[in-house]
Amino acid sequence: MSTDQNGTDAQEDTHINVADGIDHQVAMVMDLNKCIGCQTCTIACKTLWTEDGGSEYMYWNNVETKPGEGYPRGWEESGGGWQSEEHKERKTGEIPDQEDYGRAWEFNHSEIMYEGSDEPLRPRDGAEWGPNWDEDRGAGEYPNSYYFYLPRICNHCTHPSCVEACPRSALYKREEDGIVLVDQDRCRGYRYCVEGCPYKKVYYNTVSKKSEKCIFCYPRLEGEGPDGETYAPACAEECPPQLRLVGFADDEEGPIYKLIEEYEVALPLHPEFHTQPNVYYIPPYAPPQHTDDGETVDVDRIPRDYLRKLFGDRVDEALDTIERERQIVRQGGESELMEILQDKNPADQYRLEVFEDG
Amino acid sequence: MADRRQLRPVVVGIGLTALVVLAALSVPQAAARPAHEIPVEPATGDFSGPTADGWSDVPQSTVPLSSAPSSVPNANDTTIERVHVQAARGEEQLYLRLQWHDATRDTTTDGPRTFADSVAVQFPVNESARPPIAMGGPTNRVNVWYWSGGTGSEELLAGGAGSTTRMANSTITTNATYQGSGENATWTVQYTRDLDVAGENRTTIPEDEDIDVAFAVWNGSNDERAGQKAVSEWHYFPFSGGPQGPPYAALLWTIAGVAIVSVIAVTAYGIRRTGEGMS
Repeated sequence: MSTDQNGTDAQEDTHINVADGIDHQVAMVMDLNKCIGCQTCTIACKTLWTEDGGSEYMYWNNVETKPGEGYPRGWEESGGGWQSEEHKERKTGEIPDQEDYGRAWEFNHSEIMYEGSDEPLRPRDGAEWGPNWDEDRGAGEYPNSYYFYLPRICNHCTHPSCVEACPRSALYKREEDGIVLVDQDRCRGYRYCVEGCPYKKVYYNTVSKKSEKCIFCYPRLEGEGPDGETYAPACAEECPPQLRLVGFADDEEGPIYKLIEEYEVALPLHPEFHTQPNVYYIPPYAPPQHTDDGETVDVDRIPRDYLRKLFGDRVDEALDTIERERQIVRQGGESELMEILQDKNPADQYRLEVFEDG
Repeated sequence: MADRRQLRPVVVGIGLTALVVLAALSVPQAAARPAHEIPVEPATGDFSGPTADGWSDVPQSTVPLSSAPSSVPNANDTTIERVHVQAARGEEQLYLRLQWHDATRDTTTDGPRTFADSVAVQFPVNESARPPIAMGGPTNRVNVWYWSGGTGSEELLAGGAGSTTRMANSTITTNATYQGSGENATWTVQYTRDLDVAGENRTTIPEDEDIDVAFAVWNGSNDERAGQKAVSEWHYFPFSGGPQGPPYAALLWTIAGVAIVSVIAVTAYGIRRTGEGMS
């Protein structure tokens, strides 16, 4: 239980489980029904944070196609996290191989642009796997094949197993907003955090010999940009369909709290890892299957079993709630949930200053 | 017959006494090096590197290693079982040479899953107190001389597991070679440090008292790093009494020898008296 600066219990009336010693918890909700797989968020993050040597293979934000092996390849089976909700015993994990992340490909830019080659633009060698290798592949059979996009960043978990995994306490969850950071002075590149994170969102920099990860763009949240204004993380601000809401999980007036707690339609990814992620997803809602003749049949296009595997058993109720609220709107009624999910007012999408100055 | 029977216990007694005296005198020489002592030779030759000629005149101590107690995963999975240690002291510098067998030469950390072979020497910061073996303690710190095949040498300070801190302006230099192949392939790492260095957290190499020292080795190809390492117990360099060991050892051996001889003499006398009584 945390206590805010007025001395009152910040969790008194909420079910949001803010970690011990943390004043407030930043959170993000991504509506997967809006993601078009354009990778703008990926590039925004990549160019902002991981251009230095040794981080070529890193994508603190990536967008993968589901079903698919993801980035790094097979991360969902790579171990890490906790054995149970008691957070006493961690699961063993593995450090992904470089080939599972993919290597930074060399392209034939110089030949084409300066040497007059009429070869197509393509990687030179070693292009056998990469962060977006299985894009749009998906699963299922025509005419009912299916896929959806899954953007991923560090979840800044309430019970981060990366923090527990580090024998040097080089990773920590900062008090003011629960952002999980790597203390670059303490890190000695042991990579237990890489093993320990079940989402494989901590990376090892092969040049600096230290671990690096998503910092939730905290300098932007703190208004440390050139104009001194507060901005949401770059992945959120740059997203063309604006599928991300950013704020605090314990901001009861905000849309994030309502989506997580009141409507229970925003779900954590792989809750069975027991790290309590603070990045939540509105699960993908697809039309039902149809026959070769185009006749609609009452069968889920995206198998529920697969969605349960990703988002846990609560996904059924979440999708039912979304369907119910959609129906209300279709019939001319009003739905706060649908309004939240369609809100285009940046002041509502990014509620970043609600807890400033206590 | 009676005379010979009377003489026999005396002869046996004298023989046994002689044997025990001989044994008592020879034992201190055979065990001139107590179990945890690592002799230090005067450095009079060439110690310019790990294969320099000077090392051939320096006795080698074999230090057993075992997995360090640690909470990191796979802490018990270590592969290096012993390290051979040599030490030589010059007028201004201390030289250490560590050798161990490692079938794989791991010198890079340039991939997410690659770890480098490494070795470390640990001293108490305060040479008059023995810190906890696992990286010292908060009030009893250790000065660590660390070499890694991937990143070279570092001088470290630690006050307990997880507190290792890199010290600025390292005072140690290291030089390493890897020779041979297969199971007989050997790392040889030489450490050189001035006896007299500035800095409050740097171990002073004493002139007239013993100093504790411990060792750790990591096998990179076995993913060994941090607490997953093969470590020794505390050993010591006998700067107080030279290579024959601490002065009290000779005194203890003398007392033990006298006691044994006395017991045998009394026993022989008793046997003789018994023999006289029977006759």
